[in-house]
Formats: sequence, C-alpha cells, structure tokens
Amino acid sequence: MSKKEKAGKVILILLGVAFIFVMLVLPLITVLIYALREGWRVFTAAVTDRYTVLALQLTLVATVSAVLFNTVFGLFSSWAITKFRFRGKQILTTLIDIPFAISPVIAGLVFILVFGRIGWANDFLQAHNIKIVFATPGIILATIFVTFPFISKELIPLMQSQGSDEEEAAALAGAGAFTIFRKITLPHIKWALLYGIILCTARAMGEFGAVSVVSGHLRGKTNTLPLHVEILFNEFHLTQAFAVSSILVVLAIIILILKNIVEHKGRKEVDEVVR
Amino acid sequence: MIELLQNAKRPEKGICDMTGFRFRPKSNRVVPGFGLSMGITITLLSLIVLIPLFSIFVVLSGIGWKEFIADITDSAVRATYSVSMTCALAAALIDSVFGLILAWILVRYRFPGRRLLDGLIELPFALPTAVAGISLTTLYSETGWIGSFFHRFGIKISYTRAGITIALIFIGIPFVVRSVQPVLEKLDSRYEEAAMMLGAGRFKTFVKVILPELLPALLTGFGLAFARGLGEYGSVVFIAGNIPYETQITPLIIMNKLEQFNYSSATAIAFVMIVFSFVVLFFINSLQFRVSKIAGGAGE
Amino acid sequence: MYVELKNISKEFGDFPALKNISFSIEKGKLVGLLGPSGSGKTTILRILAGLEQPDSGDIFINGKRVNDIPASRRGIGFVFQNYALFRYMNVFNNIAFGLEIQKKDKAFIKRRVGELIHLIGLEGFEKRYPHQLSGGQKQRVAFARALATNPDVLLLDEPFAAIDAKVRKELRVWLRETINKLKITSIFVTHDQDEAIEVADEIVIINHGVIEQKGSPVAIYQNPATPFAAQFIGHSILLDRYSELKGFDKFEGFEKAVIRPELVRLLKPGQQTHLDAVESGVVENVFFRGNLMEVHVNVKGMKIVAYHSTEDEPLHPGEPVGVLIYRLYLYNRNEVKLVNNSLLDEQTPLYLQGNHNKEKSWIACR
Repeated sequence: MSKKEKAGKVILILLGVAFIFVMLVLPLITVLIYALREGWRVFTAAVTDRYTVLALQLTLVATVSAVLFNTVFGLFSSWAITKFRFRGKQILTTLIDIPFAISPVIAGLVFILVFGRIGWANDFLQAHNIKIVFATPGIILATIFVTFPFISKELIPLMQSQGSDEEEAAALAGAGAFTIFRKITLPHIKWALLYGIILCTARAMGEFGAVSVVSGHLRGKTNTLPLHVEILFNEFHLTQAFAVSSILVVLAIIILILKNIVEHKGRKEVDEVVR
Repeated sequence: MIELLQNAKRPEKGICDMTGFRFRPKSNRVVPGFGLSMGITITLLSLIVLIPLFSIFVVLSGIGWKEFIADITDSAVRATYSVSMTCALAAALIDSVFGLILAWILVRYRFPGRRLLDGLIELPFALPTAVAGISLTTLYSETGWIGSFFHRFGIKISYTRAGITIALIFIGIPFVVRSVQPVLEKLDSRYEEAAMMLGAGRFKTFVKVILPELLPALLTGFGLAFARGLGEYGSVVFIAGNIPYETQITPLIIMNKLEQFNYSSATAIAFVMIVFSFVVLFFINSLQFRVSKIAGGAGE
Repeated sequence: MYVELKNISKEFGDFPALKNISFSIEKGKLVGLLGPSGSGKTTILRILAGLEQPDSGDIFINGKRVNDIPASRRGIGFVFQNYALFRYMNVFNNIAFGLEIQKKDKAFIKRRVGELIHLIGLEGFEKRYPHQLSGGQKQRVAFARALATNPDVLLLDEPFAAIDAKVRKELRVWLRETINKLKITSIFVTHDQDEAIEVADEIVIINHGVIEQKGSPVAIYQNPATPFAAQFIGHSILLDRYSELKGFDKFEGFEKAVIRPELVRLLKPGQQTHLDAVESGVVENVFFRGNLMEVHVNVKGMKIVAYHSTEDEPLHPGEPVGVLIYRLYLYNRNEVKLVNNSLLDEQTPLYLQGNHNKEKSWIACR
C-alpha cells in the first residue's frame, strides 16, 4: 500500500472510531460515572429502592409477556405464510410490519383511543371494572404492539428460503403438525428464532414512548424501569436516575453479547450446512 | 420499514418456485396446520394491530373537516413538522456519511478493536431510549463533558435543535451501517481491479465504481434512519426541552395534546405523521428501485 | 523480448503457488498460459498485471523493470473472467472509462470509443447497460474497454470460461483475428487445451507452479518435454506394460508410456495391412462423439482408446478388432522419449485422425 493509501486508511479508521466513541461510548460512560458519582451507598440505595424494584418487576412482566406473545405469533404467522400458497401474502407481511413504521407515541395513542376514557371499548371495561390503560395490562399491550413484528420478521425470510419440501415429506409420511414443527422446522430455525427473541427482549425492555402514553406514570403501580428513570431525572435526582439506568445498561450489554453469540453460531451452522 | 414496501414488490418464493408447472390442487394442504396458524395469525394481527389502528380512523371521522385542518395547521404544530423534518434529515445524512465510513473500515480493514466496534454498532437498539436520552442530555448540557467544551465558545447543544439532531444521529447509526455492510462484504473485488487496471486511483475507483454499487443499500439505510428519526420520542424528549416553535418535535406535541386530554388534536396530528412516513418511505423505496434497475434489478 | 519474468516465486501462506518461474514473450505474440486449476497460471497473470506482488523475482515490460510500478500505471489492459463490466455505466461509458481517467477530451473519447465499438461489432449498443447484453457481447465490451487506452500488453484471464460453448468457438476465432489485426502482445490464461491450441501462437504449460514446457502448440504436441506435457496435450491414455505391445521393446528406466488416439488405427478382421504389427484386441465400449466414434479397446488387459470414423463400418462392444499403434511416448519422472512402432515400415505415412481440430492439423513430419 502506498503512503497515501496508508494515510487514508488511518484517517478513516480514526474517524470511525472517534465517531463511535463520541456517539456511543461516551454516553455509556456517562451513565456509569454519574451513577457512581455519590458513591456506592447511594448507588445501591437507588437500585434497591422499593419503587425501582417494582418498576423492574413491571418491566420484566411486560417484557416476558411481549416476548411470549410475539413468539407465539411469530411462529404461527411464519408457518402460515411460508408453508402454504395463498393470495395476499405480501399484504399480510406488510401489515405485520406496520408497528415498525409507527412512532411509539402513536402506538400508545392508539390504545388510549381504544381503551381509554374516550375509547369505544370503555363502556364495556367500566362495566366489568377492568382497567387497561393506566394499568399493567395497557403497558403489556403497548409493549406487545411495539415489538410485534420482531420474531416473524426474522423467521419469515429464512423459512421462505428453506421452502417446505421437508415438511411436505414428513406430512406425507403421516406426521402431525406439531411433530413436523418440532422435529423438522424447529432445528432449521432455532438460531433465527433465538435472534428474534433477543431483539424483541431488548426493544421490549427499553420501550418508552408507547408505554409513557399508556401508563399514567403512577409510581409503584404503572412505572416501568425506563419510566422510573424519566421521573427521577425530571425531579433532578440525577444520581438515582443514572443508577437505575445502569441496570438497563448492564442488561443492554448482556443482550449485545448474546446477540453476537447467536449470530456467530447461526452463521457457523449455515456454513456447515452449505458445505 | 423499507422492508414493508419491499415486501410488496418481492416475488413469492418457496412453494411457487419449486412447483414450476407441476399441478397443485387448489387446496394445497399437504402440510397440516394451515387453518389453525392462519386463524391465529389473522386474529392476533387484528386484535393487536389492525383494530387499534382503525381507531384512528374512527376518531378522525368524528372530527369535523374544519377542525381537522385547524388542528394540523396550527402554527405550533407546523413548527414541529419543520423541526422534526430538518433534524431527522440532518441526522440521517450524518448517519449516512459516518455509517458508510464505519461499514468501510469494518469490512475492508483489520485493526485492533475491530470486533468490539462491530459489536457495539447495535447499542442504540439494545439500550432503552430513555437511558440514551438522559445520558445524552447530561453529556451535552452546559456542565456535561462535551457540552461544557462547546459552552466556552457560546454554543449550546442541549435544548437546541443541535441536541435533537445528535440524539437522532445516535439512534440512526445501526440502520446505515447494517444496510451497507453486507453489500460491501459481497462486493466483487474484480470491479475495483478492473478500474485499477484502467488507471483509476483509489479515490476515483471509490466514487465511480464502488459508490454506485452501494447506493441502493445506502438509500435503504438513510430511509430507515430518517423514518425512525421522525417518530423517535424517548431519546429526544429529554435533550429537546420541548420549547414550542424551537425544539418541539411532532411526537412531543402529540404527547402534550394527550396530557391535555385533547385526543382529537393528538389523533389528527398522528394521522399526518403516519401518512407522511408512508410517503417518505415510498419515495425512497422507488428511488432505490430505480437505481437497482440500472444494474438490472441486481441485488447481487 | 517484450515481456519477461525472471525467477518469480510466490507463496500464499504455506502454499507455494509459483516456484522460480522464468519465461519471456516476444512482441506481438499471442501466448497461452495453460494448466489445470491451481497450477499458478492465473497468479502469473495477476503478478504481471500488478494485482499481486511476487515474493521474489523481476518483471520486465519492454525492457523496463515494473515491479514497483502500481497496477494502474503499468500500461496493461486486463480482461477479467467474468467481464467485470461496471454495472452502473452503459457500454459507451464502460469503454470510455480508461480514457476519462487519462483526461482525454470529449471529442477524442467519442472517436476512440466509436472505433472500438466498430471493432467489436456492437454498433447501436452504446447506450445499453451490461445486464442487457449477452455473455459474448459483454466479453467483447470488456475487450474493447481494455484496449481503449492502447496498452502495451493485453492480459486475459480465462476470457471464455463464462460463455456458452457455441458462442465460445466464435469468440475464440474473433479474438485471434482481432489480436492479430492489432498486433498487440497478448497473454491469456486457460485450462482448456483446445482453446490454447486454437488461439495461441505459443503455449506455456504450467503445473504446480512450475513451467513444464514452452513452445508452439505443434511443437509441444509432437515433442512433449515432460511427462505432464505429454499427458496434458492431446487426449492421452497411460499404459503400464507397453513392452507387451507388438513392435515396442522395453526401454530401461522408462516404466510407462503415453498413447494418443490419433496415433492408433483400428482394423476390422479382413483389412490387410502390416499384419505382423497389428495387435488383436476386443472392443469394450463405443462412444459417439459427433464426427467420430471413440472406441475403447482391450489389448492384453490394457485399455487403448482410438477414433473410428462414423463413415466406416461400425464397431460393437465384444467385437474383435485389430489395433495398429504407430507411436508411443515413453516417460519416466523427467524425460519423454518418442518411440515409433519398430515393426512398421519407415516409409509408412503416419496415419492420423484428428477429432475436432480441423483447423490446426497435427501433421507428423517424417
């Protein structure tokens, strides 16, 4: 490589690294530094505070619910779309992708319109004393909405390219639907499935906008962890806000690592199969 | 969301290709489970996505036309359109430039920390937007590390449009990098070698040969980052300061209206947002389609 | 000598791709680098072009040492195996690319590209894009593009590998004629011996990073210098026990022999010639090859392949047949020895039947 090329290479690498450092790494460091600014005791107090714990619980409940729900949906929808022929596949796939295109605030708005005070389902809910918005179910629903396509989006292209030959062979041999799924389809898609679940989890845990609209910010009752962070920050409890944030940062890093592992494993398996 | 529109154009693969001219009975149900899976799919899709979204139209129909126009053309609201658009556009452009650089160095060069860098790219997806929001606000505030530096020159970042743009840059990074990276990886080195043999230097080769090949992916990444930027809430709400006419983005004003229980106004603005996103993405998708048509619809 | 390679060696990791290669090429000649996959022929081409650097050795073009000159400035035209046409440019712009880099003015470019388009016979195609062209058309555009800047040397990397068989033949002839017309020193790489034989003035046979032989196609065919050369050119069979054949004695130190179908004649019982030199064999298999039948005959447990005209009386598996072998190429690890059937009369003209090389005939001069 000539001198000019070498210089160019170094400049580009420096630019890229600097950009990522400023945009991604510095914010991370900020969280950790500010979280520990007042020492370990304050940190631990903030993290184990009652409201924090309740918020964490709510976040986990919403996340797990969303992941389960969307995994079920993802599996059934990808099965329906990729193993059969019918008209309107594109439309269906497009509809499924809609939540991706919608701002989280609108996602929350939509559920208020259905279940909120002016919602058309409101009378029904009042009559049975069910609370959806400003309560946990609303939060779960909003989270489900926002992360709805994650798993089917990972599975559909993969299953489509894998075709349905093997499943058809098994069906002709007399196997039932769940057996076919378990023994034939699942092994092919397990890494993509895992990958989708990881992405779904990350987004569900971090969802803010939609949940913010739907929750009513009732401390201890309808606060997820991100909402809790918001409240602390707006009340100028900086250290506490960052302390709680650090939990989410750690979770985010774990997710990134898991994602990389799954990606790596998935790619390896594809290489082996191709070979 | 480009995929949304791409899906609409992608030809059906799978069974269709494999059957060719083989006769398939109308009810191709060799594989079991169609009824159940389709039923569940449609039901859940309707419950979670379609019916709730439909509410927007239900509410809209209850609003008079005059009121609707007044809502969406209110001066404060119009200011938010301009703020959202310019910030999202600027952010997407910056993301495109740096995203290209990042994809390039990740694919073409070997250097210590490359794998770490590669793994970090998705951080904006993994990190909750609220956390990103508060840390960016703090970082760029007058007392923050970066903010204080600029403060010395009289430049404010937090609570300005610059701050909004920075937050939007943050969340848009992965879109461009991950769009361009796979294309760059698969790019045939022969094109560059051919350009070299014809006398072109590295820079000319990049501009005339490589860039056109990357353009579709770049457009996709740009479009995704832009669309995301328009609708982003969590990372922006803190750093923006929500000053009307100055740093108020459209999702924020919707939130404001909701807090005031002004549902009809919120819904009207939301509708505008949705329509606009679709228009933008459609436009970008057709641009991309035309570009790849030049190469013969070649994705490869 | 216009192009010279001296003591070129190249390793890829542990793999020795080229081992101390040296050869030279005269100006204006069309040379074929022929060898199996992995032989190193493409590496030689790329080193010449500057796309790879040799570990040691020197490259000279027109007397000048070019090792340190980057590929973009060696004045070499390169035609890639899969054309590598710029997909986002039309035919005109592809061809004009090198001229634009040289900052030639628009009028000049228009003229020159026009010349080249005429040369490759694609008038009217200027505005088309690569994906709108057939394989053969793409290859011609690639050719024009490489020639646009008037390079001193033209390099072609398996130029016909990606093209349909029928088009390939036409293109070969066209390439040969065009290069002759332009009188440009050209080197092309191929693994197809028929191609090398048809197109090249000279062939360099390469195997395992070493030059086996260099010479005109006829010279190599008639006098293979190494066992590999003997086996590689022509369609040969190996024989273990050649001394058992009538008219051939065992030569000390030469364990095996190569026999070529063109040097075998099959005689039906009843055809009277050189009876003392004729071996008896049994037909094992007959294959239709278009203008000839390829016949596999069992002679004393050895498989001999010969050609039989489709005009003559057909042969069937199981039939007894007379086998007349005119010549063998004996070889050991280092040498090849040409041995004629001693029982055959000196005056007997050599009977040869080529298969598809009607253009170039293997004339044996006696």
